[in-house]
Amino acid sequence: MRNGDIDDALNRAAGAPPDVDPALLDRIANSMGASLQPVRPLPSSGVLAAALAAVCAAVALAGATVLGLHGIEAMSAARIALIFPVLLALICLSAMVSAGEMIPGSRHPVAPWVLLASGCLVLTAVFALLFTDYRHERFVTQGVACLKAGLLHAIPTAVISWWILRRGFAVNSIAAGVAAGTLSGLAGVGMLELHCPNFEAPHIMVWHTAVLAVSGAAGCLLAWAGQSLRRK
Amino acid sequence: MPCGIFLAGRLGDNWMTALFSMDSDAGIESLMVRYQQGDFTAATALVKQLSPQLHRFFLVQFVSRPSADDLLQETWLRIHQVRHTYRPGQPVLPWLYAIARNIRVDHYRKARRAGMREQSLDENLEIPQSAAAGAAGTPDLEAILATLPESQREVIAMLKVAGMSLEEVARATSSSVGSVKQKAHRAYEKLRERLSGIGMRSLREGEPS
Repeated sequence: MRNGDIDDALNRAAGAPPDVDPALLDRIANSMGASLQPVRPLPSSGVLAAALAAVCAAVALAGATVLGLHGIEAMSAARIALIFPVLLALICLSAMVSAGEMIPGSRHPVAPWVLLASGCLVLTAVFALLFTDYRHERFVTQGVACLKAGLLHAIPTAVISWWILRRGFAVNSIAAGVAAGTLSGLAGVGMLELHCPNFEAPHIMVWHTAVLAVSGAAGCLLAWAGQSLRRK
Repeated sequence: MPCGIFLAGRLGDNWMTALFSMDSDAGIESLMVRYQQGDFTAATALVKQLSPQLHRFFLVQFVSRPSADDLLQETWLRIHQVRHTYRPGQPVLPWLYAIARNIRVDHYRKARRAGMREQSLDENLEIPQSAAAGAAGTPDLEAILATLPESQREVIAMLKVAGMSLEEVARATSSSVGSVKQKAHRAYEKLRERLSGIGMRSLREGEPS
């Protein structure tokens, strides 16, 4: 049997859809009419994504400025030329995915979990390529301090992002949570790259990347919790 | 033959239908814009025009007719609440079906939690003879699709019931065009096996002479 035969069979079987009770349709239309007011459509996903990316970059820059731009001051030109464009690309992609998750039926360039996982891998690879000092003095103490600082910057990014996207509707709230968590985590990583002067490879590869992973996981968990609460 | 090619071929054969469909899409888009502006006539027209295919979309997913009625009402209520998320100039159907799909998934989860999930036909790979024959002896779409796993059934329903393109189905299901093509291709492989037997025979018997 050829694909065309199956196609014909499906087309014939599909035919005209069965009638829906006209009274039901009238009831639906009347209930909609009762609260029918003009609404302002959402801005395009490009505008929303640009706003999200700007917020992410602004939080990272503002945080690092307050704490001191020690990291970027001590960084070589080659490191700056690779780390920040990669971060910027991840922020833009993440902003597009976050905006897309809040608009039903929009294009999905990449699934949020794929973005989170690939973001962590790309950052680890870039850090492994650029940092070759494998000492690990005060690995946990300094690492936890960086993780905390990064996550503290992810929180305002998440709050402002939520405000920007508050009129949207997530058909998959967990995916939207992962996307928002990833975007917020990138603000934290951006701040750390600007601020943190510790260039030990294990520190950067583990703790700076952990900000992204923890933030994405937190977004997923919060969305799941919110979804469970709404269903109860 | 790859799925994309035969779907493109179908479009090539039926270009008049495709043109009509484009015209109809533009009509739905303009109704949607008027609905956002608060036009009750446009809202009513949308409900009347799109409800039959939405209703069938739910029926194909093996919900009973009363449940399909409930899901239809719930879908329109949600559409009404989030109508501002439709952006003029964008296709309406992916937006609409993304919301309908969300309602169906919620319904499925609620039913599963309540232990009232209707019997899944996923494992029942034989097309039931009684259900397969419609009024004219032609298998129902629901019966033909009964052999498919849920994700493939959903894709075929959107392609065949709603007449959406691969790109539109990808948008509605939050996946890539490649993934939709793959699901459609796998669905056709399964349908080929099943329709070679009972389904196709009864289909041919149902053809007018």
